[in-house]
Amino acid sequence: MIRDLTWLDFAYLVYAMRWTIALTALALVGGGLLGFVVAMLRVVPLAPVRWLAVGYIQALQGTPLLAQLFVFYFGFAIFGYRVQPWVAATAAFSIYASAFLAEIWRGCVQAIPRTQWEASAALGLSFGEQLRHIILPQAVRIAIPPTVGFLVQLVKNTSLAAVIGFIELTREAQITTAATFKPFAVYGIAAGLYFCICFPLSELSQRLERRLRVAR
Amino acid sequence: MSLVRIENITKRFGPLTVLDGVSTTVEPGEIIAVIGRSGSGKSTLLRCINGLEPIQGGRIWFEDQLVNDPATDLRRLRQQVGIVFQSYNLFPHLSVERNITLAPTVVKKMAAGDARGLALDVLKRVGLEDKIAAYPDQLSGGQQQRVAIARSLAMQPKMMLFDEITSALDPELIGEVLRVLEAMAKSGMTMMLVTHEMGFARNVASRIIFMHQGKIWEEGPTAKVLGSPATPELVSFLGSVLH
Ligand SMILES: Nc1ncnc2c1ncn2[C@@H]1O[C@H](COP(=O)(O)OP(=O)(O)OP(=O)(O)O)[C@@H](O)[C@H]1O
Ligand SMILES: [Mg+2]
Repeated sequence: MIRDLTWLDFAYLVYAMRWTIALTALALVGGGLLGFVVAMLRVVPLAPVRWLAVGYIQALQGTPLLAQLFVFYFGFAIFGYRVQPWVAATAAFSIYASAFLAEIWRGCVQAIPRTQWEASAALGLSFGEQLRHIILPQAVRIAIPPTVGFLVQLVKNTSLAAVIGFIELTREAQITTAATFKPFAVYGIAAGLYFCICFPLSELSQRLERRLRVAR
Repeated sequence: MSLVRIENITKRFGPLTVLDGVSTTVEPGEIIAVIGRSGSGKSTLLRCINGLEPIQGGRIWFEDQLVNDPATDLRRLRQQVGIVFQSYNLFPHLSVERNITLAPTVVKKMAAGDARGLALDVLKRVGLEDKIAAYPDQLSGGQQQRVAIARSLAMQPKMMLFDEITSALDPELIGEVLRVLEAMAKSGMTMMLVTHEMGFARNVASRIIFMHQGKIWEEGPTAKVLGSPATPELVSFLGSVLH
């Protein structure tokens, strides 16, 4: 039965946005924590540890996100575990985000001049103290704009979670389209809703970047 | 006992030998000027002394600590040997006060109140106590370099290393930094400084080390080495820096 597209459908789409936002937030927290650890492993003065971190980042950046999602969703089923779509999606997106955030943050740490490491080492600071007091406070400033930029990508990429049945904005749009057969209108609305999340983030990123240029 | 003993050290960067069989000692209270052409290994020698560069042969002792021993606590060593660089390397995100108090509070666990007193104290010695709340980018190059000196002094080192600390400064700012160095020299601090300021070296240094091609080519009391250089290389070097 094909029915009309109503305000109720619009309300459902808006309502489904919360799962898009929730998935993004969970992935940001999980990926942020993991990504921070990987970024630090990437700069420690111990080559084998750095290689391990590089391998992790390469493996995740070199494979499609869609494949990672399937691995988490169907992969566990092979071993007899049934995972909920939201669990698989959160895990996959966290790990995906961790690789990209690690790489972004590593770049920010390495953008701090070598002389800052040297001057702090010469004062007797340990590696951890150097990071905490000298390197990270300076790296954080330059990390904010690219991190927010990645967040925008993350919001849009959560639409892939629809393929494993996680009901976020895109999946809701698929369901609505199936019932109303108005793909153009429905996906148009969905796209507009994504824009409503991403545009303020992009703006924020640009404003932060401008602020940083004038700040000390 | 010598403060520093350098015994036949070799330093390589890949295939390039930068220090080649260098030996010397530093006695307490000595002021040594290290001179030589660009690339002769002056900075590298200084950086080896406080363990910023590992060496491939020989030994460096600071008092009873073997600097190039993996078991040596470099953190402890670096509290005793300060170094100031050509490019100041202040921490741009920290105020002058915090630049100075960071290492005493973090490394030496000094109480915050004591550290502030210490900061004022060392800033007075470089004539900048009124800049305690400023940030590095609000200071001139000469002032930044004086803060860098104060930052090192706050660790109360037994010896200070200076690597061409006036080379990045405008000519009119060099004097204020050299005056700080002179005052430190008078106070009895043991100092080793790489410098191109020959007038300053002549007036302040007790000994000259002339480096050439990674070796100590000539070394001795200032008046003797500068007054009657023994090698053609030093003669030619002095000729080139005097005009
Ligand atoms: N990190 C490094 N990697 C490779 N080569 C280096 C490194 N640091 C220094 N060198 C080389 O070692 C040699 C000695 O350098 P050093 O900085 O000690 O010379 P210097 O006498 O201080 O010269 P300058 O007067 O220009 O400062 C130079 O040939 C330089 O190119
Ligand atoms: Mg040098």
